[in-house]
Amino acid sequence: MKALILKDIYVIWRQMKYFLVMILIFSALPSGFNNAFAVVYAAMLPYTALAYDERSKWDQLAAVMPYSTRDIVLGKYVFGWLCIGAAAVLSLLFQAVLTLLGSRAFAPAMMAMATLGGLCILAISLPVMFRFGVEKGRMAMFLVIFLVCGTAGAIASIAASGDAAKFAFQSSALVILLVAVVLTAVSIPLSQRFYRKRMG
Amino acid sequence: MNAIELSHICKDFGSFAIQDLTLAVPSGTICGLVGENGAGKSTTIRLLCGALRPDSGTASVLGVDVGSPEFLAAKEDIGVVLDEAYFPESLNAVQVGKILAATYRRWDQALYEGYLARFGLPAGKQFKDYSRGMRMKLAIAAALSHRPKLLVLDEATAGLDPIVRDEILEIFNDFTREEDHSILISSHILSDLEKLCDYIAFLHQGRLLFCEEKDRLLEEYGIFSDTAAQLECLLPEAIVAREPNGYGGVRALVRRELAPVGWQLERASVEDIILFLVKGAKQA
Repeated sequence: MKALILKDIYVIWRQMKYFLVMILIFSALPSGFNNAFAVVYAAMLPYTALAYDERSKWDQLAAVMPYSTRDIVLGKYVFGWLCIGAAAVLSLLFQAVLTLLGSRAFAPAMMAMATLGGLCILAISLPVMFRFGVEKGRMAMFLVIFLVCGTAGAIASIAASGDAAKFAFQSSALVILLVAVVLTAVSIPLSQRFYRKRMG
Repeated sequence: MNAIELSHICKDFGSFAIQDLTLAVPSGTICGLVGENGAGKSTTIRLLCGALRPDSGTASVLGVDVGSPEFLAAKEDIGVVLDEAYFPESLNAVQVGKILAATYRRWDQALYEGYLARFGLPAGKQFKDYSRGMRMKLAIAAALSHRPKLLVLDEATAGLDPIVRDEILEIFNDFTREEDHSILISSHILSDLEKLCDYIAFLHQGRLLFCEEKDRLLEEYGIFSDTAAQLECLLPEAIVAREPNGYGGVRALVRRELAPVGWQLERASVEDIILFLVKGAKQA
């Protein structure tokens, strides 16, 4: 699986510099939702890697190499988690620096919510991609992103409106954490099944 | 031992099917897989590499059942070059080497770098900027550098110029000097297969029409080129297929053992035999 994750990192390496600039810009913007967007974007990087795979028919080559279906599928999830984690950490670091400079408020709660949202996006959309491919799965992916971001944004905005609301936000965050874990636990075997079916 | 054994393999895709495919490639030999586009060569290769599951029948490679969990480890001993399936195009040769070093336990980085230099492949150039020939050369370098026992090559010499093709064929020949090394190669360049192979397997519309020793095949058939009237003297079953020879006469592929003693038949090439067999199948 290490080889497959390494491959995905190399594949999107050139995009990484644009991605870093994006994190920097979004972290500097005063809106909390904008801060979270970089993390949501990171959750989409596995689709970019999948699109490159499809274009070169990498799946066919991988199927004749010593990679198991589990490695191929789980590799994409791990790659997605790494991207989301790296984006969240970098974004928080930029925010912390900007906060120290006194230009804005530090918003780790929003970042935690965005991270959970990113995990949900990954868990819902990867099985769709493995089943239908990137082209057909793209519309479903945007729908999922819209729904997850809308929900996460609404919940996160509660955090800024009083103590009772903060308690509600914390409860919601726990629920979303649970949802992310359950979705991921269901999503991985489903993706493996879809991938096997697609490969014949 | 056979390096490859396919037994009564069937795989139905609806519009196309592999039908009752039984094929054995003895260890230490080179087998050429020939057939028209869409005959099922790539499908056969994917079936024997475990990339496709057959509807029925069994396949074993290097003594391991392709459907068994143990086959994953056996893939370490198989080097594969596929037609039109490559590494993602944003990668370069150095990155491909690092990925494969993390994939194969017996990856030989020095050997890989030696092939890159020998094939004149630029290490830092992205795959998308490679020509088809360069892509094939990189795929061959990658397939050889984990020291496999079996090479499975799908149109691996397509897109290469004759000089490089010759050099690659020499590398394949060297590879089979080890007595437990074998190659299955599909190609439309039949002259390459004639130079390289010990066995020729011919697929037509998803069926294996024959898998024969090349030398026996060349002994079995001859080319008749004369008048149509003279050809009619032969038993009908001696004539595989015929075509006008361009000088008012006919040219035909003839089974030597059914031709009268003393008949002058030209030596048939593998290309002649395959082309006439396809024509014969269409005329039948």
